[in-house]
Amino acid sequence: MRMGESLESCLMRYPEHRAELKTLLRTTFDIGRRASYVQPRPEFKHWARVRLEGAQHYAKQQRRAERPSLFSWRQSWSVAVAAVLVLLLTGGSTVAASSNALPDEPLYPVKLATEQVRFAFAISDASKAELHTQLAETRAVEIEAMANEGKTEQSAIAAERLANQLEQANLAMAKVESARGEAAPATATPETTVTEPVPSAPPSQPEGQPTPPTATTQDKGVTTKTEHFKKSLEKSTSKSLTALENALEKAPQQAKPDWQRAIDIISEKSHGKPSQEPGTGAGETGNKDKDNGKTRDKSNGKEENKPTSVKPEPSQPNSHN
Amino acid sequence: MLSEEHLVQRAVNGEQAAFTQLYNQNFDRIYRYIYVKVRNQSEAEDLTQDVFIKALESIGSYKWRDLPFAAWLFKIAHNRVIDHVRKVSKEKRASLDEAYAKSVEDPVQMTERNFEVYQLKEALEQLPRAQREVATLRFIGQLSIAEVAKTLGKSEGTVKALQFNATASLRKVLYGKLDG
Repeated sequence: MRMGESLESCLMRYPEHRAELKTLLRTTFDIGRRASYVQPRPEFKHWARVRLEGAQHYAKQQRRAERPSLFSWRQSWSVAVAAVLVLLLTGGSTVAASSNALPDEPLYPVKLATEQVRFAFAISDASKAELHTQLAETRAVEIEAMANEGKTEQSAIAAERLANQLEQANLAMAKVESARGEAAPATATPETTVTEPVPSAPPSQPEGQPTPPTATTQDKGVTTKTEHFKKSLEKSTSKSLTALENALEKAPQQAKPDWQRAIDIISEKSHGKPSQEPGTGAGETGNKDKDNGKTRDKSNGKEENKPTSVKPEPSQPNSHN
Repeated sequence: MLSEEHLVQRAVNGEQAAFTQLYNQNFDRIYRYIYVKVRNQSEAEDLTQDVFIKALESIGSYKWRDLPFAAWLFKIAHNRVIDHVRKVSKEKRASLDEAYAKSVEDPVQMTERNFEVYQLKEALEQLPRAQREVATLRFIGQLSIAEVAKTLGKSEGTVKALQFNATASLRKVLYGKLDG
């Protein structure tokens, strides 16, 4: 019956036990029906899944960061879970101590777990964009610290995390801008005090450009915020790449590919962002990454210039990203 | 079964997507199993998460033994529930109001279903422990006789006998009829 067989069909196979089986199978069927009504709440399923994905991501990073020691892995997990619990129960006073922890420090798992909790409370796209932007800054500090100490693996892991933040931040900002574009005409309803219809704002404004005079105050606020986020992300990207490039220069020959990979990871995501620095004219498909006057070739994953030997910046964009 | 073994092996090797697939396949029934045991929604939710976190922690050391992956999860769930019950000083009775079925649109249908689930939980509660374990794994967790036997460390014959008695007892409690 569990496989979809009917009650009658089951009974026909055991005619000698028909009478006894009939009542038992009907009971079994009824129990199964009642049990099927017990379902987890959709909200619970959603957040449980989110937490699991966070835990998986974290576990993956841990496996890469450390040799697979069951003890240390479990210990780290305990710290992470404890962080979440403490944050939820105490409001985060204890976890705050981990906020400056670096990837090679014991409190770092607490920091990551705390970030996951913060995401759980970031509901709107704007707040998500803001949080990803803040965390990108955090990752940049970590990358710089790890790169300065020549810690290749930790730097690569932090670079992956930064790339993820960049991607998520750009995604959230695109949603914010898209929502603003859709919402703009609605602000010109007769109930508002706006005296003239407000056209839809363009999806993004070039960096540093003033918002069009027809935009509402709310639009201006959104634009200013997203511009601020973009600038911050560019700064984080630039800071990270500079640190990694410096480390690449100093690294022994056999370690150079690892450093280059870390650079490529970040470069790839920074190329995918919708906005560029003012005046570059580079679109989303451009492969030029302008950071402190350096240009990185994305097509082959290698940098063209290094901070110590800056060439005149080439202006030609590649044809692919 | 071969495909599940393959899937489990991928999860053991650290493949996130494989573990997620196993998680999706088993989440609802693990929740149901725990919910019927603890009879409290928030506790069931906490414990369900706990089971999967523990599974994620331990998946690296999982050894395939011709046993469905669900059996392993139920074993973790079983142990977690036992730990939980030991820690709870006073048994909490689930009220009818806090039952599960928030997703049903029709309030009349929701009330009826909640009541039926409540009856089932009450009926299971009245069973002797061994029968309750078997009935919960068989009917709520939807494991086979062999799977229940391996999960509980009992012989299949014992599980069959316990199931038979549990079903008869449940019938008696649920419908008030005396039969075998």
